[in-house]
Amino acid sequence: MRWRYCRPSREVSLFAIVEGPLVVGEIISGAFRPDCGAVATFIGTTREDATEGARVEYLEYEAYRPMADRKLAEIGREIAERWDVREVRIVHRIGRVGLGEPSVVIVVAAPRRGAAFEASRYAIERIKQVVPIWKREVWSDGYVWVGSQVGTRPAARALR
Amino acid sequence: MSGMNGTRAVRVLLFGAAADQAGARELELQVRDGATLGDLWNELTGRYPGLTPMGDTLAFAVNQEYAGMERRVSPGDEVAILPPVSGG
Repeated sequence: MRWRYCRPSREVSLFAIVEGPLVVGEIISGAFRPDCGAVATFIGTTREDATEGARVEYLEYEAYRPMADRKLAEIGREIAERWDVREVRIVHRIGRVGLGEPSVVIVVAAPRRGAAFEASRYAIERIKQVVPIWKREVWSDGYVWVGSQVGTRPAARALR
Repeated sequence: MSGMNGTRAVRVLLFGAAADQAGARELELQVRDGATLGDLWNELTGRYPGLTPMGDTLAFAVNQEYAGMERRVSPGDEVAILPPVSGG
């Protein structure tokens, strides 16, 4: 995995886009600090979906890099401006991701739990707004780009 | 990068559904001096009509930062065509 460390003053943060499975425990425990009493974690996992006669087999993510890396770090700065947090970690996986596997791990360490919970929620919402990453659901009967409804599935073709 | 008649090349990257609809992920477009993203979009949809229905949903970036249609593009710029993001 390729880690990209970003160290704004006094904070230690990690923003990374990686291929291959996320080592969730390491990402979380790396945020433990003596000045923080709360570490909130959000893990996004790929969800199985099914309709009559078809089901999702896996997901595939792609990113516009390095813009996506920069946008993750920007979210970290936005959080630091809004809450008293001491560390933010966001690691997003790209490439093929099997069902039920983590695709994104967000860890926020803060002195108190309120800020940790709120900031981790903020991080995932912002990722879904501004970070140039896209996912494609690969179904048994074709694929579809989530959010665009473009693809080779019968339902997606009908929309074209 | 310099072309004929005062036109210059801009590098265009397409992602996700936009790459699908165009059948291309990366290309170079000649743009006139003073051209905007809007001009470039017209040029692009002329060449790849499959992109046209996506128009209202797309965002654009110039040199890796979001930009509006009035944004000027210059020779050597990197323009990205960004469908609705769906990370997480």
